[in-house]
Amino acid sequence: MARIKVLNPEGYPPKVSARGMAPALDTLDGKKLFLVDVGFANSDNFMAQLHGWFEEHRPTISTEVVRWRNQHIPDPELCERIQADGDAAIIGVGT
Amino acid sequence: MDLESRYGVPTVGVHVHVFAHLVRNTVRTNGMPSARQAFVPTPLMNTSPTGLREYVEGNDPIHGRPFMAEVFDQLTRAVPNDELRGEDWDRSTPRYIEADGEEEMHALFQERRYTDFLPIVLPTEERVERMLTGTSHAPDEMVGKLRPTIGMEHWHFDVEKVAVNAVMAGAAPEHFPVILALASSGDTGRQSSMSSMGNMVLVNGPIRHEIGMNSGIGALGPYNHANSAIGRSFGLLSQNLQGGSVPGETYAGSQGCNFSYNCITFAENEEASPWEPYHVQYGYEQDQSAVTVSYIWGNVWAEYLRTYWEEKLQAMISGLEPGMGCTLVLDPIVAREFCERGLDTKQKLAEWIHENVRIPQRRFWDHVMLNLIHEEVEAGVEPWATYWNAPPDELIPVYETSRVNIVVAGGETNGHFSIFQGSPMRAKFRTNKGKNATVSIDDWR
Repeated sequence: MARIKVLNPEGYPPKVSARGMAPALDTLDGKKLFLVDVGFANSDNFMAQLHGWFEEHRPTISTEVVRWRNQHIPDPELCERIQADGDAAIIGVGT
Repeated sequence: MDLESRYGVPTVGVHVHVFAHLVRNTVRTNGMPSARQAFVPTPLMNTSPTGLREYVEGNDPIHGRPFMAEVFDQLTRAVPNDELRGEDWDRSTPRYIEADGEEEMHALFQERRYTDFLPIVLPTEERVERMLTGTSHAPDEMVGKLRPTIGMEHWHFDVEKVAVNAVMAGAAPEHFPVILALASSGDTGRQSSMSSMGNMVLVNGPIRHEIGMNSGIGALGPYNHANSAIGRSFGLLSQNLQGGSVPGETYAGSQGCNFSYNCITFAENEEASPWEPYHVQYGYEQDQSAVTVSYIWGNVWAEYLRTYWEEKLQAMISGLEPGMGCTLVLDPIVAREFCERGLDTKQKLAEWIHENVRIPQRRFWDHVMLNLIHEEVEAGVEPWATYWNAPPDELIPVYETSRVNIVVAGGETNGHFSIFQGSPMRAKFRTNKGKNATVSIDDWR
């Protein structure tokens, strides 16, 4: 059967460049965790429950709930604050 | 991922479990395949505080272990150096696709999800060259960029790529300027929203007649080549040029939307309308041609403005979601009926809706509305700040006039009108920020 050739309908994807990760912590005890609410529906309540869990079960880990200003764009002010004052973060909830 | 890579903060991303595949795809295409992730059950929205605590204290459905144990492990487990560095990789796409015959090629296209699962016209070089005669723009001129949804990556494309998809959809070269305009808009006909939206594509101006579009009897139905082919082209080019529309990966709509087969593509019946055409409202001259993409969820309909038309209209619109806008598609008979009642411009009708269709404050905010304009509320922008601070029983206008879209279409066999949930995307969410949702077709001739 004759081979046929057609044009590819796919667009041009962006280049994938490596992005480094932060090293893990040795322990969370005595550390400060930011619980970042990204603003999707009910994420605020989820973070409130997460915060409550830490207070009840791991009081040696300091946690603070913060709100990402706009879930669709970067929030450098918040990131700088987390970098300056925190040791780790839990961010969510992606829905 | 920014917190990790740019600010050096170990960060766990929490997601609902149905998006595990999408999350893993996203982190890989962002160069961080080992990004820290933990999952909770779906749904999150509408789950009570008790239910959310159960998520925290229960299992991560993807990793199969207690959620909190997974979070702790993600933050304290040593990551190998090669994973810490992240990963870059080549994923360029070939210009041609080859196969042993047409049957195999059709099967390949369907398997790769290039189609809408209906037969397509294979985009041979000859057919694509013929499609390119429909524009003066060079095949390698970049047209724009698309993505399935906010937060996902943009893919780029040129005129030739749009032509390939137009051929597949069964379009003709004379339809091509409209299709290019759609592709350039930054709007997608395959939006990946859990809410399962579709689209409406409205064409205005002289091109409607030049290419034989239908704005009369059956305008929104499958009765016209141009309407059908342009709408299908928009859908196919969207899924193929944006990096895909695959359920669970690049498409998250829980039910999907049947509007997506054609993207409700039609022409406004400017000649039979007592009002100014839609594109004229957005700065175009009547003798210019333009196209507008809206994002649409569903519709309610009625016939004629009868005795209790005001109550009827209030009931129809007050049941819609405030955050998503509305689009009235009126048969010319109904447009004239509004004029007879003193609403002799689109603006007057929009103002009537704003003033007369209201719901209690507590219901106004009982949806994703706050998500959409959280920033404005916090910044004290009006009217949102006032609406937010109003007492729960105070009646709030469902729509600002700018979120009421009015279009005339139909062939006057019946005084039918539909009110669709949806409108053009808010400016702050658009890919082409700062640009109007109504784009020029003439620029692509």
